Amino acid sequence: MHVLIINGSPRVKKYSNTDKILGKFTAGMKENGTSFEQYEVSDRKQWDAMRKAFTENSDILIALPLYVECIPGLLMEFLETVSPKTDGSRISFILQSGFAEGIQLRCGEEYLKILAKKLGCIYKGTLVKGDNFGIRFIEGAQREKITDPYTQMGRVYAAEGGFDSEECRRFTGPEIFPAPVRLMVGLMFKTFAKKSFKKVAAAWGCTEALDYRPYE
Amino acid sequence: MILIVNTTSDHSITDELKKQMKEKGTDAEIIETDALHISHCIGCNHCWLKTPGVCSVKDDYELILKKLIHAGQLWVISDTALGFLDHKGKNIYDRILPIATMYLKFVGNQMRHVLRYDNKTDLGIIYTGEPEREYLERWNERAALNFGSKSLGVFSSNEIKEAVSCMC
Repeated sequence: MHVLIINGSPRVKKYSNTDKILGKFTAGMKENGTSFEQYEVSDRKQWDAMRKAFTENSDILIALPLYVECIPGLLMEFLETVSPKTDGSRISFILQSGFAEGIQLRCGEEYLKILAKKLGCIYKGTLVKGDNFGIRFIEGAQREKITDPYTQMGRVYAAEGGFDSEECRRFTGPEIFPAPVRLMVGLMFKTFAKKSFKKVAAAWGCTEALDYRPYE
Repeated sequence: MILIVNTTSDHSITDELKKQMKEKGTDAEIIETDALHISHCIGCNHCWLKTPGVCSVKDDYELILKKLIHAGQLWVISDTALGFLDHKGKNIYDRILPIATMYLKFVGNQMRHVLRYDNKTDLGIIYTGEPEREYLERWNERAALNFGSKSLGVFSSNEIKEAVSCMC
């Protein structure tokens, strides 16, 4: 199998969490000899080649971050320029987000089913997973703890050509957190997480409070 | 204040809105974006972590953002593509992000960003073309949750009267 992979993140490749996920995913995917070509929607210079590849390939995988409950505006702009397929091509998606619970991604996932149909492709499922916001800010073992599990999903995709299996469904994790976990995580948001965000902001040269109101 | 952002090039929709709103005595500010430059969100996170509340993309969206934080309602008029808002309409939603902060909390049983301003803006859509309407309704409700507000509904450009009845 040869797969066209489109990184649908508007963020430049260097800082793209979706790209880091794809790095691990494709490592697993390649193990059985599956090959791929990858393009970045964030780079408009690639759009012509990406459009041509969309026409020529029969196995397509679009990986994307959730943007306000659906696909990012930039990915929509690109997809508006492709011609719907008529050759029985198959399309799958990797949908990732910052929010951790599975329920946060379901509305976006629902649109991807519609999108597959509008693009004239057979829908082969969406790999749904949140809690990826931190990938950009951490490195080494910490980052790999988040991204490594995608390698196994790459193996599954290469073997099955989609994400319909129970293993892929389980990959999402909890739809919502149980009340005791929410209590604990909520406390973490007010303490440890706040401190961590302030630390990142300081490193980025931020000189205002993170809840600053510039337009009041 | 009601803010209406027309991302289509069809001014007849806003002309009809003005007419209907005048009859009803409703006042709104209308922005036509075809003469403006509004880009997409690039996901840089600067509005959360580097320049809180300020978008790093320097274009005409700032004009919308400055008005949005005082508006009780935002209506986006959008063409549709692939069953959904086209990219111009979606960009208006994606770029709202600076009104949220990086901080998080639980609202009910789901995580949400802590909002930057006290004002909450309800969201309505007027569309042209043929979207998957049921989905668009569901999506707008979910989108509004992220901004601590509610959906005002989703209306075709043939249903201006119905949309105006929700403007107050």
